[in-house]
Amino acid sequence: MRESLAATLTIFKKDLRSEMRTRYALNALLMFVITTLSIILFSIGNENVSPELLSGVLWIIIFFSTMSGLSRTFVSEEERGTVMTLHLIAKPLSIYFGKLLFNLLLLGGLNIFTVLLYLLFVSGFTVLNYSIFVTTIILGTLGLASGSTIIAAIIAKANTKGTLYPVLSFPILLPLLLTVINATKLSVSGAQFSESFGEFQILISYLVVLTAISFLLFEYIWKE
Amino acid sequence: MYEFLSQNALYIVLLIVLIGWVGIFSYLLRLDKKMTKLEKMFKE
Amino acid sequence: MLLKLLLGLWLTLIIIAGFSFPITETPTNWYDLPFVPGLEDKARIIFFHVPMAWVTTLAFIISLIYGIKYLAKKEIDHDLISSSSAGLGLMFCILATVTGSLWAKFTWGSFWNWDPRETSIFVLLLIYGAYFALRSAIEGEEKKATLSAVYAIIAGITVPFFIFIMPRIVEGLHPNEAIVSKGKISMNRTMLVIFLSSLSGFTALFFWILNLRVRTERLEHKQSLKGD
Repeated sequence: MRESLAATLTIFKKDLRSEMRTRYALNALLMFVITTLSIILFSIGNENVSPELLSGVLWIIIFFSTMSGLSRTFVSEEERGTVMTLHLIAKPLSIYFGKLLFNLLLLGGLNIFTVLLYLLFVSGFTVLNYSIFVTTIILGTLGLASGSTIIAAIIAKANTKGTLYPVLSFPILLPLLLTVINATKLSVSGAQFSESFGEFQILISYLVVLTAISFLLFEYIWKE
Repeated sequence: MYEFLSQNALYIVLLIVLIGWVGIFSYLLRLDKKMTKLEKMFKE
Repeated sequence: MLLKLLLGLWLTLIIIAGFSFPITETPTNWYDLPFVPGLEDKARIIFFHVPMAWVTTLAFIISLIYGIKYLAKKEIDHDLISSSSAGLGLMFCILATVTGSLWAKFTWGSFWNWDPRETSIFVLLLIYGAYFALRSAIEGEEKKATLSAVYAIIAGITVPFFIFIMPRIVEGLHPNEAIVSKGKISMNRTMLVIFLSSLSGFTALFFWILNLRVRTERLEHKQSLKGD
């Protein structure tokens, strides 16, 4: 138990170090968010857009930046030919959780950046209940990371990696996306915290179910 | 007969669907027979 | 052979009955169908559209079960069944979507309005599409079988979430609320008998086509082994 925990941390640190060295994902992703946001700002112009609609737009940005950023996790190992080495040094579960942890950190940082920029620059988007909003962002990030990590592992074994990723992820992430958009709408319409309990229950159970099933199935993917 | 059909469009639709179904069904039957034959050939 | 001919006759009778039995406000004769306000003749869709939607779900479940079996035993035959079932499921899914959408245009006024049922069938369509996109992108029989089975399981596990999510987002329009309102089924016995026979008939049809498909796949697989 302690060994696999240590291995998980090692994988996580290794990914973090190689990311810090090249900043491949981070730079590209920050630019991606800025580009998308500016397109949205241009198209809004002087229009009055309802905050409900804008809460959907926020999650569109987050979804597509996740799709372009997290697909790299396992693909990079395949490309560099380091899969075999990983096979030798660690158990599948440590690898999965190490990667999940790294993705979580990457996505968390990215989402904080996105949300801050969004709150600053999109004038029509005013959050009335921050406790709902922050909880939604946190739970949404956890769920997105969990769902997209396992799909990234599948995608690394396929031929057309980049285009297939959103295609495979969308049906799986759709329940999560619908719920977070709904919860964000509640936060901008000034609902009480207790009103969004249903949404949070769905988000938490989604997170638990998806992580558990990934935990069970990752071995099959990894051994292929 | 003709008059009855021209007044009740539903029955024309019924006739069309029935013809379509009979066609599909006989195709499936033929396919089934052909498959059995092929499977026998493969066994030998 | 006899069973198959019987199935053909069975479904022929259902089509005749489903179309030609008259809909009346006060069903008196044994062949009278009840009148559902707002649906009228369009209520007949239940005999054909609902079985297709049911077969779509059944095909997905069978595909899932054989996917799990494949992961446990690694027998390629299980994958043949799993992928054939998914292929058929995709076909029936498209049929159910198109028939439902066409019907919706004349009952609700638009082809598509994100009713909970429409959303769930749309998600199933997406999953089936993604499943085959994944299969076509992987080389190697075993790799393809394992990864698609894993994907089917992950996708299958997220589907039940929609049961809880959809009612929070949109109000349902689907006539299962109109026909099965407050636990009381407003179908009369004739309608129920035709509906249930149609369900069983289409299920049998599905298994027959699945059987044909699996047999062709097996032959193809055998041939590819010989060719190597």
